[in-house]
Amino acid sequence: MLPSPGLLFQSVLDGIFLGFLYSLIALGLSLVFGVMGIINFAHGDFIMLGSYLVWILANSLRSDPSLMSIATVPLFFVMGAAIYTAIIRPVLGKEPLIQIAVTVGVGYVLQNLALMMFRAEPRAVQTTYLNFYLNLGLVSVHVAKLISALLSLFIVLGVHYLLTKTWVGLAIRATAYDREVASLMGINVGKVFLLVFSLGIALTGLAASLWMTFGQADPYIGSSFGLLTWVIIALGGLGGVSGLLASSVIVGVIQSLTMTLVSPTVSLAIPYVVFIIVLWFRPQGLFGKG
Amino acid sequence: MTQVNSRNIFSIVLPSLIVVLAGATIPFLVGFNQYYVLLALQSVIMASIALAWNIIGGYAGQLDLASFAYIGLGGILATMLMIEHNITPWLGMFLGAGVSAALAFIIGFPLFRFGIKGVWYALSTAALVVILHEASIMILGPFDYYIPFVEGWYYIRFRTWENLYYFSLAVLAFIISLNLYISRSKLGYYLKAIREDEVAAEAVGINVRKYKLLALVIYASILGFIGYLYIVSQRTFSYNTFSGPQSVYVAIIGIVGGLGSVSGVFSAALILKIVEEYLRGYLGGVLPGLHLLLFGTLLIVVGILRPEGLSSLTDTLTRKIKVKVLRWYT
Amino acid sequence: MYVRKSLKRAISKTMGIVIGLVIVIAIVAGALIYMTTQAPPTTTTKPKIEKVKIGIIEPLTGRYAVFGQEAVDAARLLVDIINNELGGVSSLGGAKLELYVEDAGTSPDTAALAAERLISNYRPHVILGAYISRLTAAVAEVTEREKIPLVMDALVDWLTERGWNYVFRLAPRASTHGKAAVDFVLEMAKKTNTTIRTVVVLHEDSIFGTTVANGVRSQLIAKGVIPNETITYAYTITDFGPIISRIRELNPDVIFSVPYFSDGILFAKALQASGIKVKFIAGAGGCGYTDPDSIREAGEAVEYFTNTYSYNPARQTQWNKRIVQAFQQKYGKLPTEAAGIIFYSLMFVYEGLEKAGQMFPDDPLNPDNLRAVFLSMDLDDSNSIAAQLYPTGRVKLAANGENLYGGTAILQVIGGQPRVIWPEAEEGVTPIFPRP
Repeated sequence: MLPSPGLLFQSVLDGIFLGFLYSLIALGLSLVFGVMGIINFAHGDFIMLGSYLVWILANSLRSDPSLMSIATVPLFFVMGAAIYTAIIRPVLGKEPLIQIAVTVGVGYVLQNLALMMFRAEPRAVQTTYLNFYLNLGLVSVHVAKLISALLSLFIVLGVHYLLTKTWVGLAIRATAYDREVASLMGINVGKVFLLVFSLGIALTGLAASLWMTFGQADPYIGSSFGLLTWVIIALGGLGGVSGLLASSVIVGVIQSLTMTLVSPTVSLAIPYVVFIIVLWFRPQGLFGKG
Repeated sequence: MTQVNSRNIFSIVLPSLIVVLAGATIPFLVGFNQYYVLLALQSVIMASIALAWNIIGGYAGQLDLASFAYIGLGGILATMLMIEHNITPWLGMFLGAGVSAALAFIIGFPLFRFGIKGVWYALSTAALVVILHEASIMILGPFDYYIPFVEGWYYIRFRTWENLYYFSLAVLAFIISLNLYISRSKLGYYLKAIREDEVAAEAVGINVRKYKLLALVIYASILGFIGYLYIVSQRTFSYNTFSGPQSVYVAIIGIVGGLGSVSGVFSAALILKIVEEYLRGYLGGVLPGLHLLLFGTLLIVVGILRPEGLSSLTDTLTRKIKVKVLRWYT
Repeated sequence: MYVRKSLKRAISKTMGIVIGLVIVIAIVAGALIYMTTQAPPTTTTKPKIEKVKIGIIEPLTGRYAVFGQEAVDAARLLVDIINNELGGVSSLGGAKLELYVEDAGTSPDTAALAAERLISNYRPHVILGAYISRLTAAVAEVTEREKIPLVMDALVDWLTERGWNYVFRLAPRASTHGKAAVDFVLEMAKKTNTTIRTVVVLHEDSIFGTTVANGVRSQLIAKGVIPNETITYAYTITDFGPIISRIRELNPDVIFSVPYFSDGILFAKALQASGIKVKFIAGAGGCGYTDPDSIREAGEAVEYFTNTYSYNPARQTQWNKRIVQAFQQKYGKLPTEAAGIIFYSLMFVYEGLEKAGQMFPDDPLNPDNLRAVFLSMDLDDSNSIAAQLYPTGRVKLAANGENLYGGTAILQVIGGQPRVIWPEAEEGVTPIFPRP
């Protein structure tokens, strides 16, 4: 039952596309963690929330889910700001266990809110313009995935540009590096935190609308994305965008290859095994600076 | 003024004795109504699990999200030994405890040695549950069935729930005593220091890794032991026992109850279980998932406003009771 | 003494009150539950029976709530019809049925609590439930201990193989679903002269999916067709990409698929997007593809898909048409599996009660008597409403409670609507095989 080289290549390609989308998801989390030291356990659940929102909007407006990002991104930015002010800021000084616990609570609330409102029925969008495959001889390319991957890459690079080439980005990086010194230098640390957290959540809104071009929403996809994103961050370290992209693609490819070569069941567990091994031997990740 | 917190047998054993005696009267009070006995049984089991978690979470301050990895491992081993080889769980539970302890050691030694803590520790434990979940399906196939009925103390399995309940009370008593003992022992002292400030503790010369690992292994072995009790109360032998969400739920109880507070965690476990059952019984189906929604909100509120959770209230209560009892006694 | 910072004291007072209130509420709730649920005095069966208590335990919360809710809806409708149109149980002096609903929750813990609570509060004479196999098992152990007949609507095979005496199941078991899918496909292939060389079995990896898939595989092998590959996946799967690639490489003629629910939709869409031409996709196990929700979500992607059903909504018997119509009128939608199983199960109980009144006039509701009655019933369309509601039209229980004539109906999505095509096609409907 040895797979053909075509299948292998196909699998790797699939993994790469998914990987880029994962990188978009991981970016928000990585920013928040790197700058604020806050662990948002509920990150995946925001994607779930976004997916439902996109479903409602896309179906009622009968248009492609990716266009819904026009609505979801600003909405999620505002929601992020609200959550930061109400929930995150008060626990900034407290012990890490409490900080994590609070975000776990947020995740629980989101999951069960979705369960209450939508029951457990999965929801998929009807009209997607890009849900087809392009046959290129040896491989077939799922266009929706390709577009999502390209858009994700574009955004990730865009954020990288923001971080490195703008004043705002400088302020953010300074705060991440040393928040006390940054505030001494006149940077309003509170505002930076607010911006970063809101941006992180806004990115999940974007990722959700891209996801819905080929995926579907149910109350539990949050956990799948959540843990996977953490694996990516552990692998990629907090070094920079290149590390993030590389580890996202690696995780995507590992998942895809395991699903093809071994079995889909195992593919659920493999990324986590990799995660634990990486944590043991290279806690700074494969690309991090320690 | 009598010493209320002295480290003698009296203060360690008495509270658990009281809980056991009070608990043992419940079946009689409800006229052996199976519904209440079952509810009491499930509450006691949840309290036991949460109090075991208290050792690693409340005392050592590590957010461990793998409780059901250890419960599942120990429990499934003991159950399999019983089903396939007719080995009594009295032996199986201890084996389960041993295996879970071994797993904890294997996982914990490298984790602590490499200084992994905080969120990375939490994530590793969350990953552990998923890994065991999938591994069990791979090794045993998708097993999810009712355990064939056998009766008697040899199997700790009965038609009605009382005997199992009494057994679980005994286990609870042990765990409460263990918690109280640890909190007043040198181990407890070190763990509290580690939880407060790990770096400072290290600087003062406490072997941080050793004690964290010790706490983890103790916690895992208790859970490995209880595993069979949990599975037999559910009558179901299933890979679903390795549940990530359930493990998170245990941590929530431990936090809402108040980190390190025996009375707080115990109360939280009871209250949350009763509320959950109340909502199921009366509102069931009307608003699915409502109790989890409430618990999530409670967790957020506790985290922001009152990180000591229920403990401040229950600790004061128990202290007042203790003082009264001692005053009356002397 | 213990020192508190004054600031903390200020907060702690209000928080203390709040938390104190929570505890008080919990205690009061517990007390209320206790006070309002006193067990009724155990009644010795009186000669005149006013009502027969029917309990139903279904998952009304969590991911299975969709099915549970429909089952409860079906039960309410049936009880209404039995009491009002059929005049209650005539052999028991016109005794009416009274329905008691309990939420099974999401785990064996909550299912056992549900069963205990239902029994200690109301002591029903018969219980129906609980759709999901591990929930049903938890309920069964309680009903077995209390000697209350349980008519099960869960499909996994082993539920009737545990040596329980008081469980009964009319619905076709999981492996029967698998076999039916194979029989259907092979029959169609013969009729339309379609060659089937490569077969793939795709299933979600829970005990249900595995049992159905085993049924598929063993029937395939029995009929001389060797499945080329079996692909399993967790039903929480989010992306079928690699599986689609594998299918593309295998290029099967037929795919037998056992989905859970949402994975079915995802698979159908992924397959459609891939453009792979598979001659036929046959679902098995009753979940997914052909139910109205799946059709709504997947749209064109599930056109021409089939699935096996424990219930045939289009069966042209007098009573089936009547009840389907009544259901549609009351709830505004077509009944699916979950409702259908309750239809014939509850009707079976009713007819059993009638017979019990005749066979055991002194003690008709005694569990052992009821058991004897249930096992003695031999129903077909001419003598029974329950049989008219059943896909194969025949009901007779074996000693372990399983229906000897368990069988499914096969539905196909034609023009966006689920249509019955096998064993008898609906009027004016021809099965479409292979897919155009």
